[in-house]
Amino acid sequence: MLNHFLHWLVNSPWSHAINKAEWIFPVIQSFHFIGFALLIGTIAIVDLRLLGFGMRRQEPSELAADLQRYTYLGVALMLITGLLMFSTDAVTYHNNPAFQFKMTCFTVALVYQFTIHRWAVRAGSGAIWAKLAGAISLLLWTGVIFGGRMIAFV
Amino acid sequence: MSVPSIVEWINQTSLSVAIREGGLPYPVIGGLHLLSIALFGGMLLATDLRLLGWVMQGRRVSDVMVQLRPWKWLGFVVVVVSGFLLMWAEPVRLYQSPSFWLKMALFALVGVHAVVFRPGVYRDPERLDSGITGQAKLAAVLSLLLWAGLVAAGRFIAFDASFDQ
Repeated sequence: MLNHFLHWLVNSPWSHAINKAEWIFPVIQSFHFIGFALLIGTIAIVDLRLLGFGMRRQEPSELAADLQRYTYLGVALMLITGLLMFSTDAVTYHNNPAFQFKMTCFTVALVYQFTIHRWAVRAGSGAIWAKLAGAISLLLWTGVIFGGRMIAFV
Repeated sequence: MSVPSIVEWINQTSLSVAIREGGLPYPVIGGLHLLSIALFGGMLLATDLRLLGWVMQGRRVSDVMVQLRPWKWLGFVVVVVSGFLLMWAEPVRLYQSPSFWLKMALFALVGVHAVVFRPGVYRDPERLDSGITGQAKLAAVLSLLLWAGLVAAGRFIAFDASFDQ
């Protein structure tokens, strides 16, 4: 079932299109990078605030509300460009331990972002567990990035 | 001393060999480079988009710029130092890479951008609280374009060799 899906992706028209010209893949990757700067950067501003750093004149909930649109835009960019790159070589990526690590961190980070992180932001900063919530978020996204980098090396 | 001989000298330093052939150091420094792209890029996007009036419109320009500045600088320092180490590890490959030279040219333009716009825009953002000047908006647009170009040029370095065929 999963294998079927992976092969379907590899043989999809967009996968063929990306593999056709050498320059398309790095262009998609560049947008992937801009997407994660947007996503992780906006989340980091809120996380730093939970830790008591950065934009301390604003409440965490104010910052989260201010930046939410751009966090979503970052998620969308990451998912679209990520899926496109994944399609070009889905079976290899799926079997790559670094990719598996990255996707585990990414899934946990995303679920965390919309549950525990959201409650922590709503509760405000100051308490020790607000700091913990911010630190865990930063750690998860760091895992996503390092996992991503290691894909080419394992 | 010619440039190729400098490249050859860098290539033989123990630091270069250690990063290039040490296994883990190269991807770890690469990971740090990416992590600092997220930090620096995020702060840059927040700052420049604020200057364009697209994000945090309810917060004063100076509030955003002054409070994020130390983190923007931290990201910048880590991205430059990790990038320098990556360059030091593979001087021969990068010397022959057109994308690397494009990236360095864009990086030089970032310096020009700072010299041109620092006095009027970035040095005291309090002046922009009463109204964002055209110069500030121009600075924001150019900064976003320059850094997007740097990211793309950096990405293309890994693909240069495949274009030769």
